[in-house]
Amino acid sequence: MRRAPRLGLRRGDVVRAVDDEIAFHIQMKVEKLVASGLSPEAARREAMRQFGDLEGVRRMCVTLDHQREHAMRRKNYLDELRQDVGYAFRMLRRNLGVTSVIVLTLALGIGANTAIFALVNAVLLRKLPVPNPDELLVLGDPSRVGSLSWGDNSRTDLHSWKTYLELRKQTDVVSGLAASGRSERLDVRTEQGGEAERPRGRMVSGNYFNVLQVPAFRGRVFDGSEDNAVGGSPMVAISYGYWMRRFAGDERAIGRDIHINGARFTISGVTPPWFTGEIVGTSTDIWIPITMQQMLTPNRPNLLEATQAYWLLLIGRRKAGVSFEQAQARFTPVLRMLLKEQAANPATAAGADTVTVPISSGARGLSRVRANFKAPLIALLGGVGVLLLIICANVASLLLARAVARAKEMSVRLALGAARTRLVRQLLTEGVVLALCSAAAGLLVARWGTQLLLALAADGGTRIPLDTALDLPVVLFTIGLSMVAVLVFGLAPALRASRVDLQSVMRANAKAVTGGSLTGPRIPIGKMLISAQVALSLVLLVGAGLLVRSLRGVERAPTGLDRDHLLIVDVDASAGGHTGERLYPYARELSERVQAVSGVVAVSYSENGIFSGTESASNIGVPSFTAREANDSITRYDAIGPGYARATGARLLRGRDIRESDIAGGLPVILVNETFARFYFGSADRAAGATIRLGDSTRAQIAGVIMDTKDHELTAEVERRYYYAYQQHPFEEPGQLRLIVRASGDPALLVNPVRKALRAYDAQLPINGIDPLSALMRASVRQERLLARLASGFGTVALLLAAIGLYGVLTYAIGRRTGEIGLRVALGARRGTVIGMVLGDALRLVVIGVVLGIPLALGVMQLIRTQLHDVKPTDPIALIVAVVVLGVSALAAALIPSLRASRVAPLVALRED
Amino acid sequence: MLDPDGGLLRGTLDVLILKAISWGPRHGYAVAEWIRMVTDEQLLVEEGPLYTALHRLEKKGWLSAEWGYSENNRRAKYYELTRSGRQQLRAEVSGWERYVRAVTKALTAAVPDAV
Repeated sequence: MRRAPRLGLRRGDVVRAVDDEIAFHIQMKVEKLVASGLSPEAARREAMRQFGDLEGVRRMCVTLDHQREHAMRRKNYLDELRQDVGYAFRMLRRNLGVTSVIVLTLALGIGANTAIFALVNAVLLRKLPVPNPDELLVLGDPSRVGSLSWGDNSRTDLHSWKTYLELRKQTDVVSGLAASGRSERLDVRTEQGGEAERPRGRMVSGNYFNVLQVPAFRGRVFDGSEDNAVGGSPMVAISYGYWMRRFAGDERAIGRDIHINGARFTISGVTPPWFTGEIVGTSTDIWIPITMQQMLTPNRPNLLEATQAYWLLLIGRRKAGVSFEQAQARFTPVLRMLLKEQAANPATAAGADTVTVPISSGARGLSRVRANFKAPLIALLGGVGVLLLIICANVASLLLARAVARAKEMSVRLALGAARTRLVRQLLTEGVVLALCSAAAGLLVARWGTQLLLALAADGGTRIPLDTALDLPVVLFTIGLSMVAVLVFGLAPALRASRVDLQSVMRANAKAVTGGSLTGPRIPIGKMLISAQVALSLVLLVGAGLLVRSLRGVERAPTGLDRDHLLIVDVDASAGGHTGERLYPYARELSERVQAVSGVVAVSYSENGIFSGTESASNIGVPSFTAREANDSITRYDAIGPGYARATGARLLRGRDIRESDIAGGLPVILVNETFARFYFGSADRAAGATIRLGDSTRAQIAGVIMDTKDHELTAEVERRYYYAYQQHPFEEPGQLRLIVRASGDPALLVNPVRKALRAYDAQLPINGIDPLSALMRASVRQERLLARLASGFGTVALLLAAIGLYGVLTYAIGRRTGEIGLRVALGARRGTVIGMVLGDALRLVVIGVVLGIPLALGVMQLIRTQLHDVKPTDPIALIVAVVVLGVSALAAALIPSLRASRVAPLVALRED
Repeated sequence: MLDPDGGLLRGTLDVLILKAISWGPRHGYAVAEWIRMVTDEQLLVEEGPLYTALHRLEKKGWLSAEWGYSENNRRAKYYELTRSGRQQLRAEVSGWERYVRAVTKALTAAVPDAV
């Protein structure tokens, strides 16, 4: 058999082939029949008859052939792909060093990005796992999840129970409106007198689960009837997590009784595993009907009756087609009317006319963490983004160097007839394999990274229970990031470099001797990449420097307090029924007990404490002062015990401290801080002894002026503040108590003795915390410290990568110039000259990077301005330190290759070519 | 080997084709002629189905095809057994022999077995 030229695989060809084949058969048959004596016409008829259904057979054959070719084409494609992938793995394995560097650095960069993105996703992006979360709306400030505010002031950020009951009647815009508020501390015992444990609870309205559309996983959850009778629903719903943790998932837990703060409640049901409450950053363990508030905390004011207790956030489900604006327009007039009715005095009532109820989407739930972490998280995301850019620049240099090294192979393959598209496909396959390896490694880094981040964010305290599971969006983010990183930054230059022609490659070998500039004129991209890396590293280093300096500044700024000797004791006096005027003797007793502890220099107390608890503000009137704006007569205040200035270490500028004799009945006295005195009186001198109005009618005398102290925040400016004598302060609300203990030595040593002394006096007293002030202050700048630490970490990695990149490029360039350097040495160049030459070239790249980096850094720093305290974004010290650190590192990285270059032996070098 | 209408039993044509090609590359016409000859013109009523069978076997991967020139210098499609085609033939042949032995034994039995 002689072979005939093969036909292509197009559709028409298949049909033609079948026709040819049948025609051949018929023709052969006809010839045979003619030879046996038939006429040509008869022979043709007979041949056709013997063949049978020609058209049917023809169609069948064509179909079969098409199917076969389709399968073959797919198989070919898969074979080629397998070949490409196999080849890619072989190539990557052959350059194991380069491959691992690429995969590891990319994994680091991608992992860091994924970790931060997982946090961003968990805190800012992810929606509540309830059905149709986009229908949810929130009435109030979604960040105030744990607050309870008292006062006659027409608030709209939180709502009272009475207001809620009225608002939820507006069923034309929402299909349901639920209320959710903080719970007091819950001491849960499974048996009376057993070991108490404190789950995180939430007080909710009966329709809470209906509105969120959360079904019961076991038993039943609330059905709305709980709101009908006050105190009539002694039941709780518990989360799946709590059920597992506390009851090991025991079915018998449903329906059993537990004791919460001494009262008996029945566990009615368990919520599904996917539901951990409506608050992002906290997982709720236990839900209690709001109507049970008095059973739960019998000594507290009745929050169901009080119209001036603002503590509920309202979550509603919009009806189809209702916009947030429409809902707002519906709720606002109702709220105005309610607040007007509830107002205790005319000024408040007038204020109620102008309020607007804040309405926002509830799709992402409520969160305090979100408000706090939004800006830092975005800053961090920017930081890791820059880091990834640097890493990409590194990868680009490496792939570029490899592409240049492979230019010869590519040109040979092209010369041998390989299709250019096939070569490109092959390079792409290598890129995708690299990207996927990096993504996989990056996910591992991220898993570990998010845990590290959460631990760092907690700073030794309790972990924020965030669900940072690497879910689909996060994994997609990672894979997308790796693809973009490798394909755009790594492969594009490599592809460009692969556009080779035979001539240039052949010439390249000759060039090794003739030289050119150090980094080689053929890869100016390599040069650019190093300068870009330097510039980006500078941005991260300046950022890190600024954040560290800001943190230092904040931590070291004078606070006006004896910060190293103070102990703050946070007790829950009202739990034992010590509220209002009953606080006076109780506070006195407690401080006397603590005073007796050895090592205690002085004891005082206050309502809000220092760096613990809340803040209060009030309206005041100063006769000699005319307010220009409404805010001018608002000032912060605290109620303080006798000897407060002495106990805290606040310097008394004028007048006297609060005394034991300042008790109810006499003329109320106050202390004011310097800012207060300056603002209202112009000076401390004029303020001392003056009489002012507090609130609506109380008159009080300024007994003394103390120096400004930072009472609650290190990062904020000191505000004007007055300090009301605790024993004279009329506690209309329950009131709080915090003891301030000044120690002679380390206050941490007094924690246990103080606890013992308090317990000895009142064994039932709940103690929320006994902490040295320095620890509380540290905790208050947790977020700033986290940011500074991470930024420093990013900066260090960036520096390292830039140094490695510089080292790599120099080594590569020197390798290519060995011949030239050898020639120079042979011609009498000294070692110093060679070293200087290499260092000079390196320096040029660094200088270009720094010159580009400085304006870039200054621009970028404007973006993190809000994260900086007491440091300008243009702080010269941070900039200079960054430049110096960068310069020294670059020099160190350049030194090794330059020394190596100087040791080039002339003979060896010349023989190489 | 014949169905009640006198046609080829399904699958029988396939094995005959495999057998026809087992001595080397052949085109469809040669296969048809061979079958006609060895079966005394008994089996191949129509030649068309032979071609659909050839194409089906090619799709299954038992045959490979190539265009070549016939003895009288015409372009013809030549079929050849692939490795798996040869295995298939061997399996079919031994299966057929087993079948024939069993049926022959049954039909030539002299005494009925006690039931």
